[in-house]
This record gives sequence, C-alpha cells and structure tokens, in this order.
Amino acid sequence: MQERYAYYPGCLASLSQKELDSSTRAIAKKLQIELVDMPSVTCCGAGDIHEAKPDYYLHISARILGQAEQMGCDTILTICNVCTLNLRQANKALQEDAAVLNRVNDNLREVGAATYQGGVDIRHLLWEVSAGEGYDRFKSIAVKSLEGLKVAPFYGCQILRPAKILGFEDSDRPQSLERLITACGAEPIDYPAKVKCCGFPIVLAREDVALGELVQPLQQATDAGADVIVTPCPLCHLSLDAWQRKAAAFSGHDYQIPILHLAQLLGAAAGIEESELKFKRHVTRLSPEIKAKLKVPSVVGTGTGA
Amino acid sequence: MTEIKNAHFTTLKGAYDTETMEATLRVRRYDPETKKSRFDDFTVTIPVTASVLDALDAIKDTHDGSLSYRKSCRMAVCGSCGMRVDGGAALACKTPMKKFVDAGHRITVSPMGNLPVIKDLVVDMAPFWQKIRAVKPYLDTKDVEVPEKEWRVAQEASDQIHKESLCILCGCCVSECNSMESDPEFLGPAALAKAYRFVGDARDQDTRERLRDLNGAHGIWDCTRCYFCNQRCPKHVDPRDAIAKLGAESFKEGFTRDEGAKHAKVFVDSTYKGGYLRETELVPKTIGPINAIKDIPFALQLARAGKVPNPLSPHKAKDNDEVKRLWKLLEKEAKGQPRRATAKHPDAVQGD
Repeated sequence: MQERYAYYPGCLASLSQKELDSSTRAIAKKLQIELVDMPSVTCCGAGDIHEAKPDYYLHISARILGQAEQMGCDTILTICNVCTLNLRQANKALQEDAAVLNRVNDNLREVGAATYQGGVDIRHLLWEVSAGEGYDRFKSIAVKSLEGLKVAPFYGCQILRPAKILGFEDSDRPQSLERLITACGAEPIDYPAKVKCCGFPIVLAREDVALGELVQPLQQATDAGADVIVTPCPLCHLSLDAWQRKAAAFSGHDYQIPILHLAQLLGAAAGIEESELKFKRHVTRLSPEIKAKLKVPSVVGTGTGA
Repeated sequence: MTEIKNAHFTTLKGAYDTETMEATLRVRRYDPETKKSRFDDFTVTIPVTASVLDALDAIKDTHDGSLSYRKSCRMAVCGSCGMRVDGGAALACKTPMKKFVDAGHRITVSPMGNLPVIKDLVVDMAPFWQKIRAVKPYLDTKDVEVPEKEWRVAQEASDQIHKESLCILCGCCVSECNSMESDPEFLGPAALAKAYRFVGDARDQDTRERLRDLNGAHGIWDCTRCYFCNQRCPKHVDPRDAIAKLGAESFKEGFTRDEGAKHAKVFVDSTYKGGYLRETELVPKTIGPINAIKDIPFALQLARAGKVPNPLSPHKAKDNDEVKRLWKLLEKEAKGQPRRATAKHPDAVQGD
C-alpha cells in the first residue's frame, strides 16, 4: 500500500454511482492514504473504445497515465474492474514496446498533452486492502464487527481475467473478497457464479443475453442464503442492483438482494456514516434487518439520492 | 511395478521404470442409455511425470475399461482431449498431475461446457463445427489470380494473424463462454477467432462480406467480455482480443449499425466531447429513442435512486481540447494509411 495515489474513480463512480466515490474517499481517509484528484482525465474507454478505435484508446490511456506521472504519483488507484483492466492493458502495450510508446508520446506532445514515461502501476482498491500492509491497516480500522451478516462476494470478470494482465490472485479460486468479508466480522457465502459475468457490457445492446448471465449470481447468492452481495466493480453493481427487477421478470423468480460496493462494506465495518456510504442511492433498498446488521450510524434517509 | 495390461500405457512404459505416485481423481460419468450421470472416484498409480490424460489412461486400463474420453496426439496439438479439470476447461494431455498430488488435492474431471455430452467426458462437437463452418474458414480470393506455386505473404502481414492461426480447435474457449451459456446461437470465441484469421489475412478478398455477416445477431457484439476464452485457451490464441480486432475492422469498414457498435460509439464521442461517459446518451443512442421511451419506467427507478445524471450539465474534464486535437490528429493519420490495418496493400501479398 502507498501513502499517496493518483485517484481515478472512472465515469460511473463520478456520475451515476457517486456513492462509491464518497465511500472510497471516506475509507481512504480512515486508512490515512492520500487520494490526488485527476481533473483532466477522460473515460478509460470501458473496452468499447478499445474495440472501436484501438489506436485512440492507446493514446487516451497514455494521456491518463502521463497525468499521474506529472502529479508525482507512480500508482493510480482504481475502484472499477473495467478501468483497471483497460488501463493495465494499455500500460502493458506501452511499456513493452518502446516504438509504440515513442509514437504515442510524439502525438501527445503535438497536441500539447502530458507525455508518458512508462513508470506507472494501476492498482484496484481491492488489491490494496486485501493483502500486506493495506490489509493490516484495514484490520486496525475495522472496529465494528458485522457479525451475522452473510455476504456473497461477486468479483466480476475484469479484476480476474485475463490473469496475465491482472494476475493478483488465482482467477478461478480468488479469496481476496472473502478475506475482507471475514475481516469485517461477516460471513462469506460461496457459490459458483461469483467469478462469472454480470452481463453489463451488453445489457443495452443484447439485453436478453445479458439477463441470462445476470440471473446466475442473483439466483445462486439468494439460494445460498446471502443477505447481500458485495462487488469491487460499479458496472457489476449497476447490473446486479438496477437490473435486478428485470432479471427477476426474465427468470420468473423474485430477487430482493441488496448489492454493496466494496468500499461501502469496508466503510460499514470502519464505522463510517450513512451520509458518506449513501445506501439510499441503490435501486434495491436495504431492509431494516440488514441495515441493523450493517450497524451504520445515523438514520437512513428516505428521499432521493444525491 | 504396475502391470501394463493393454496399449494405453505403451507410451508410459519407460516412465514406469522411474518414480511413481498415487493419485485420486473424481470423474463425471454419463450413461447415454440410462441418461443418468454420477461421479466415480478412482485411485491410480502413475509416473510423477503423468498428465491428467495419462491418469485417465491408467483408470481405463486398470479400473474401468468403459470410461470414455477423446485423445490422440498427447502433445497439445490435435485438440482432442479438451475437458474440465476442477471446473475449468483444459487439455488433459497438457495438465500435469504432480502439482495436484503434491498439494494433496483430488481433482474433478468433467466434460466441457456449452456442448451436449455424449458419454462420460465425450461431448458432441457438431455445434462447434457448425459455427466454425458458418464463418467460412477458408480463403476467398475472388477474382484475384492465385499464383501457381506458393503465395508469399510479407512477415508483417502474417504477424497480424499469427495468434489466431495457432488455434487447434479444441473447444476449451467455447466451454467457458458466458455469452454462449445465455445465447447458444452466439458464434462464440473459437469461430470468431477463426473469422479474424481470415478477415486479417492479406490474401483474402472477402473482408466486407465477412464483417457484414459478423455484425448481425449472434455475432461479435454478443461478446460480454468475460475473458474466460483468453484465460482457458491452451494455445494463447486470445479469442476475445480477436473479437475486439473484428470490432475495430468493422468500424474501419463502416459497419456501425449494430446496437453494440452504437454503444461503443457513444464512448468514443463522450471522450471527445467532454471526457467522461455521457451516461444519459448511452441508452437512446444504443437502442434508439423509441425503445428508450418504452424503458421509461426503468429509467424512473434509476432516477429515484439518484442514478440519472443531469443531461443538461454533462461532465467536462479540464483540458479536454487536448483530446479533441488528439482525435483529429489520429483520424488524419488513419486516412493517410491503407484502409485496413491488416495491410492489404501490394507489398503484403507477393505472387511467386
């Protein structure tokens, strides 16, 4: 774990999933790590720009990485699987081929943007707090035991695969979320679909195909008796949370399972208040019983989010 | 010394003269006559160098001759012995047993997913071949005169499709494809990697027709980017990367009408216009304004949770003019190049 990170929340945490951003800032403060904002960055492309315009994707990624260097940061902290994979994929391409990096830098220079020297690493919050010093630090701030809360971990694809680019843990048998759930005093629930796809990348273009995928974790976590699902990815969160009713209609089953962002679960165990964790910004609301198990201070509001 | 009963062990005879180990495997069985499946546990003595395939041979030889599985080359070239080891598709011949034995772990061997099981570990590959055939897995040179002898291709052009050319058609990628579980008609990673192998071939003259076909229902935009295919492929073909390349070739050739392509275009345009994604434009521009209106009840659920950003004041990153200039520069550069990155220019293809 570093003391200082270039903080890249990505689009969703900055826009529709603002509760993830506020929870992350709150937990970072407790962990005593500095998050330096990156006001000039674009979207990572979410895989879409990589697919449509790979050369442009490489350039906008280099511009993001170059900005971290300009700020004097050698590590970018991400809170989204898709940002993590896209930035790491581009970073690998830029670091492995000097000719590619030189050409990209020539172009960045020509448009007046920061160039990239190749010295930045991209780390997801999950990796930073589930092992080593970061884990110890989290253990020391996890003052509230979430005993009795059954949490189904949902990893999402792009923090596990392809392992040659991500490679933090065994992509078939990951344990980082389980480790953190246990550190929170809660009980991790096991189910096969925890490493599978939520369907989000194609939920607009191919809704039925996506819902067929989404049903698996929702059904299996429900069957396994989970109170909530926790995920390190805001896209998985949106899919599991906002599309939950559509998945229920699609499968003919009823799902009522709240979805937590990783930073919200960690925040609850660290005693962070509802005003920062913002559970009310979820489509699938927390029941009073689960709220009690999460032990979040202050009254949970009933109004709209924001 | 283990007694060698029949031909299955022939290749291992020498290995048995050296160190052996005891291994237990749990094997998924399926009897097509009773249509019932079960798990059987077998313990066998095998050389320390044995693969999962060797262990299955030992089972077949010493325990149960009715155990069914495919095999041929034993060296990760023929693609016959794809099966699931602990739930993940792999070539049995390329998976050593020793690491499992050392860890005291009993592996579970089961048939590949997304294909019908015929018996035990043997799956019906007919749907797999049907999709490979559907992408026209051969060169179409149209009216270009084919050289009488060899048709040489420049190294650089050959490199474009090198990875995809390594496919041995084992089906491991298809076994784990999350989109195929949901849409069995999806062409899938193996067929799409094969499709790119020809779209990217400097000699092929059927690029536009190929891309047009791949942009329809069950085509490239069905891919959910779960990356299981890249993870499982025993030959490092990286089928998902091939699908992304087909997307890029589609954009170059102007095939941007599929909802998947429209979705991608909103991301490209958002970075150009402001920096971050314009979420409120994503739905109407992907599925069209009429379908978006039908989805209003859903949008209201999201709005109630504060999940719909104000479309009138979209996010604007600082210094985004740099990005605009970058886009224009790259578009200009691309126009000066041959239309296809696959370098279908005269130097790439040389008649002898």
